[in-house]
Amino acid sequence: MTSDSLLKARQAIGTALTRALPEHPHLNWHHGLSSEAGLDSVQIMNLVMEIEDELDLSVPVDLLAEVNTLEELAARLAELIEEQS
Amino acid sequence: MSLFDKFQPLAEARAALGGVSPAPIATPIEAVLSATRGRIGGREVLLAGTNNYLGLTYDPAVIEAAGKALAEFGSGTTGSRMANGSYDSHRALEQELAEAFGWSSAMVFSTGYQANLGSLSALAGKGDYLLLDSDSHASIYDGARLSQAETIRFRHNDPDNLNRRLERLGADAKRALIVVEGLYSMLGDQPPLEAFVEVKERHGAWLLVDEAHSFGVFGERGLGLTEASGLLDRVDFVVGTFSKSLAGIGGFCVSPHPELELMRLACRPYIFTASPSPATIAGTRAALRRLVEGQDLRARLQRNFNRLYAGVRELGYRMGSEQPGPVAAIILPDRASALHHWRSLLEAGVYANLMIPPATPAGLNLLRISLSAAHSDDDVDLIVGALAEINVPA
Repeated sequence: MTSDSLLKARQAIGTALTRALPEHPHLNWHHGLSSEAGLDSVQIMNLVMEIEDELDLSVPVDLLAEVNTLEELAARLAELIEEQS
Repeated sequence: MSLFDKFQPLAEARAALGGVSPAPIATPIEAVLSATRGRIGGREVLLAGTNNYLGLTYDPAVIEAAGKALAEFGSGTTGSRMANGSYDSHRALEQELAEAFGWSSAMVFSTGYQANLGSLSALAGKGDYLLLDSDSHASIYDGARLSQAETIRFRHNDPDNLNRRLERLGADAKRALIVVEGLYSMLGDQPPLEAFVEVKERHGAWLLVDEAHSFGVFGERGLGLTEASGLLDRVDFVVGTFSKSLAGIGGFCVSPHPELELMRLACRPYIFTASPSPATIAGTRAALRRLVEGQDLRARLQRNFNRLYAGVRELGYRMGSEQPGPVAAIILPDRASALHHWRSLLEAGVYANLMIPPATPAGLNLLRISLSAAHSDDDVDLIVGALAEINVPA
């Protein structure tokens, strides 16, 4: 993946975090979203909906099962961005 | 390290509700005395959390039909519809459901959960798309997991958000099955169904409406929000349950597409399970006859939920839905407050439901009340009165 796509994905996640999870302002990008950050499945899905709006792409629900951390999510989103461009 | 370690967070969440009896989750009901009365914690209580919308659990015709079938055809079918469990009565119920909608085909499932699991997983396969409202019931999400379709969520009750996702699919939108509910069981809100139908028609997609909580409640003949909205000729599938308005257990999928008949051959939750018992089917058929002609019950139910919504609003509570309906969800600020309300209501002789995250949308803590046509004005006033007496901690 290109650094442009990854940067775009990270920026989208950052924006989505402030909208979907304002109560978690300092999430560690390398921590497990549910195991360490303590997010429940609804919070994670709402975060992804914000990211979808931000990037104007649809994220398959299955993708969520493949990622544990925000950094992994950014990498998968970058791949999706490139698939659709 | 144990296989059970993963349940520890759930155990902690349950413990946080306190160890007092009766428990707010999986509350033991010691006896059911009527459609609206039961015994919990050794006391008779008003049942206001049982989704018994038409109050048919003790309807004499339903009881008689089920009892007769039990005596005549035995306690169970001991087999699946594909083997030895397909009786005339199963087919008759399917035909009656299809006729009620004026459609060609219906399939009966052993539970409402399986109706969604089976319909979604069989209809949407590899290369297809499932577009789910984000507040969908667990059975819809689980159906999506069982299917091999690509699943995409859209914002709750937002046709524009759905439209954007279908636009992204382009020509593939014709292989997309959209799933919405006629009434959302957590907040009690309804979808803008006509707007969703317009979006699905614009893209040539398919639409399934889960009427689990709206069947029996809305529409002249009680067929649900689809009928009430005048959209019976513009929807592809309706899924429903027997375990709410029909006062039994089971589920169905009904469609104007005659090809639904083929789904029997590919639908795992239909094939690999025992068929509903003869008594269940007979009781459901009697309840369906009552439901279709049940304008009196619907009028009574509507009177009850309008009365309750008005009373609760007057107390200043925030509700999950602006539009009154058979589910009245009171939004409370946190878990402790929700638990306090649930306990206080039970102490006042009213059983409702405590609903907390992660079962609820947007992390809401809810006290959920469900109304029945069998409730009286006094019953509704008892609920409102009990809420009015709750001492809210500072």
